Amino acid sequence: MDPSSTSSAEKTQGGTQSLPRAYLVRSERERLLEAMLRVAAAKGYEATTVRDVIEVAGVSEQTFEQMFGDKESCFLEAYEAVFDVLLAHMGSAFEAAAGRPWPERVSAALGALVGLLSIEAGIARLSMVEVTATGDDARARYRSALARFTPFLEEGRQYANQGEELPADTARFAIGGAASMIFDEIRAGRGPELTRILPDLVFAVLMPYLGPEAAEDEMRRVAREHAGNLT
Amino acid sequence: MGKQAATKVRAGAEGTGATGKVFPEAPALRLVSSPKRQRILEGMLEAVGNAGYDSASVRMVLDQTGLYRQAFYDEFADKDACYLEALAYGVAKFEAIARAAAEPEEGWRAKLRAGIGALLDALDADPAIGRALIVEVHAAGPEALKIRSEAMKQVTDFIDSARHASTGTELPPPIAAEGIVAGMHAVVHAKLATGDSDGFRQLLPDFMYFAVLPYFGAEVAGAEMKAARA
Repeated sequence: MDPSSTSSAEKTQGGTQSLPRAYLVRSERERLLEAMLRVAAAKGYEATTVRDVIEVAGVSEQTFEQMFGDKESCFLEAYEAVFDVLLAHMGSAFEAAAGRPWPERVSAALGALVGLLSIEAGIARLSMVEVTATGDDARARYRSALARFTPFLEEGRQYANQGEELPADTARFAIGGAASMIFDEIRAGRGPELTRILPDLVFAVLMPYLGPEAAEDEMRRVAREHAGNLT
Repeated sequence: MGKQAATKVRAGAEGTGATGKVFPEAPALRLVSSPKRQRILEGMLEAVGNAGYDSASVRMVLDQTGLYRQAFYDEFADKDACYLEALAYGVAKFEAIARAAAEPEEGWRAKLRAGIGALLDALDADPAIGRALIVEVHAAGPEALKIRSEAMKQVTDFIDSARHASTGTELPPPIAAEGIVAGMHAVVHAKLATGDSDGFRQLLPDFMYFAVLPYFGAEVAGAEMKAARA
């Protein structure tokens, strides 16, 4: 978490020379990606320099150039990696709840999402709020990243037994709505307490599929479970 | 009924704009103190909508309006200040369009259908303004986002007034309206940002479904969606 401690820890990297080259390359890349996120989260993307990133990562400038070429490419890859981690985390929670009804699995995935975002509030702010201010390219990536959440919701169409065909935009509506709510919380500086809005998110995501009553039942179940965890 | 139908047609035509302009009958807003200032604000919205906030320049606004450089700086300190006011101006106009369309209608659902329909028509008529107000606002910083949040709050409050119109015994939790507005915003935002132009108006049936669903249930929402498709 603390960039300075990472930096001093990496100073001892001379001892890793006996490790296979491929391992070392991969870990250098990962260190750079993580350093990029930590530095940009701490001081903002604009103010971040390649020098900051290589110092925190403990990697040479030459390696940085070979791997990424410039700051922006490194950032965009790091940014994709954030969503990879979020999706993997949600996916595990979703899978772990296999056998339970779909709404409960969605709640589990959302719980994993807000849990991780609240722990990594700096990176959450960077990935969801600041990125939307850094230009078309990053914003396009943000939008396509949101589309990656769709698979969690596909089953919801079977759950919606209201005899009416669901609108085509249902997934985008549900995901976009949840993302907007998260965005507003983070922007208001409440990122570290993001888990508080979990019941609201559950309602917003499920409501378009299940209607208000079933969505509210699940929302209340999550609120009770959440209150139970806190005591 | 006959009178209502006639007003509805007029309200719709206002949104579509026979002249090709989004705001053919712009209400006189106190916000804008002179026609010149108004031209600059509209030019700024066009420039930001077409080029993006970062690339938009005072030069583009001048080209758009045919004004001299000095004329711009007589009115505004810089691009940022001008955009902030242009944003407030554009939001107020969108609000006026929605209000004008909703006002003659009776009841929450009809008002919502007319209001949202008119907003979607306005986006179809001039997507660049939509981009300037909805997409580029992110690049313009916290002050700009505040203006946008206040506008969304107004829509949220209107939608949540369905509580008083709903016949359902169980009303949805308070978060419902916020979720609906956030969802609609997300769909419109994605469409504007990707330059996908296959018709904002076509979103109306889905939007009506999502907005009506939490207050009146799936059956009424489904009927509303079908009615809006017709």
